[in-house]
Amino acid sequence: MPLIETENITKQFGELQVLKGISLSVRKGETICIIGPSGAGKSTFLRALNHLESITSGRIIIDGEVLDDRENGVNKSVLTKQQESDILLEMGMVFQRFNIFPHKTVLENVALAPEKVRKVSKEAAEKRARDLLETVGLTDKTDVYPSKLSGGQLQRVAIARALAMDPKIMLFDEPTSALDPELVGEVLNVIRKLAQDGMTMLIVTHEIGFARDVADSIVFMADGQILEQAPPGEIFANPKHEKTKTFLQAVL
Amino acid sequence: MLDKILNALSQMSGWIVPLAQSAQVTLALSVISVILGIIGGVFIALGRISRNGFLKKICGAYIFIFRGTPLLMQLYFLWMALPLAIPALTLQNRFVAAVIAFSLNSAAYQAEIIRAAIQSIDPGQMEAARSLGLSYGQAMRLVIIPQSIKRLVPPIGNEFIMVLKDTSLVSMISLVDLMKKTMQLQSSTATALVYLPSAVMYLIFTGVFTWLFNRLEKHHARYE
Repeated sequence: MPLIETENITKQFGELQVLKGISLSVRKGETICIIGPSGAGKSTFLRALNHLESITSGRIIIDGEVLDDRENGVNKSVLTKQQESDILLEMGMVFQRFNIFPHKTVLENVALAPEKVRKVSKEAAEKRARDLLETVGLTDKTDVYPSKLSGGQLQRVAIARALAMDPKIMLFDEPTSALDPELVGEVLNVIRKLAQDGMTMLIVTHEIGFARDVADSIVFMADGQILEQAPPGEIFANPKHEKTKTFLQAVL
Repeated sequence: MLDKILNALSQMSGWIVPLAQSAQVTLALSVISVILGIIGGVFIALGRISRNGFLKKICGAYIFIFRGTPLLMQLYFLWMALPLAIPALTLQNRFVAAVIAFSLNSAAYQAEIIRAAIQSIDPGQMEAARSLGLSYGQAMRLVIIPQSIKRLVPPIGNEFIMVLKDTSLVSMISLVDLMKKTMQLQSSTATALVYLPSAVMYLIFTGVFTWLFNRLEKHHARYE
């Protein structure tokens, strides 16, 4: 059973259809990178999974539970609010612009949600936060405010913060696009390590080299559709769709 | 010449105690009204940005009414017109009437200040909080509102100073504040000189509170 299954997702913004029927399935432990030109709907798709956008029609099934079953924007799934938030908690999200809480220290950023949502004790939440900050290499920054950190460090805090809720799935929305080039590597290394540890991940990225390296499967999106999905070796060596070829020629 | 100045100074020094006593009313009225106004303002602001259309309209109408009519009229309305219409709402105490009028009025202004401050926070903050499983209320309370406080302090400081000066309107319902006392002393001594120490007192209050609000702003900017 796939951990994420989407069936024919569409999303309408007024007249504009940004998603035109996305069907994708992600197995446990799989890393899938979504590439494609800007405006393809990659971020919208990712945000729809996490309910930061609502979809117009289609089904989203997370770990066997039907989160959305929509037609004309009306959800036919019969989950209670509590069930819905429980399912959403299985997905951790990392944003392009980090969205770290500036008024909290690094440690507080990571410990906040476990304490307030999972109702873990403050001590336990902070201990776990320290462990996670160690794995992303920020042991010496636990008690500083985010304004003192570089973009790469902020994004690593954001990853630790999402991991603190013990999600089964991590969603990355262009995690390195807002970073200076010299800071990209440190963030990609953390993501790479997560992939090795068997985390299920869906990554929207423009880092083609990284995608080739880390992904089990590459999804190419354009104009609100998935045009092609294949293992990196295949898609880069032998792209089938004309738009994939054009895109890869432009970025490689 | 020197005689006259010394004479005036000694006359003024005699006014300090009665003026200072009535100034307590001015200060208490300002502080209580602004605090109640902040509390009311938070709820009205949250109503204004909520997705509930009805709540949004009600809060919008409140702001429209209280910002769109003279404060003096609101004060008169509460003190004189309302008891005629609804006898049960007759207020016995002028100070209480003034606190209610000023709080209701200030809440309308502060609601707009608070709404603007909340909406100036990057929407990504709410998204991050929600994606971590925080409820809308938790996200507001723990993430959005704490960040907006720093941006709230300067305009609320400004609002406080406006209220402090506007409280002089209560002289019109015969509540003896600093302004009313000044007017009483003027008529009993037949000299307008009393306005000078009274004005200095207002300046001292606004000066001290300006300084306090600057300190508060620096304190809330400490994490930057």
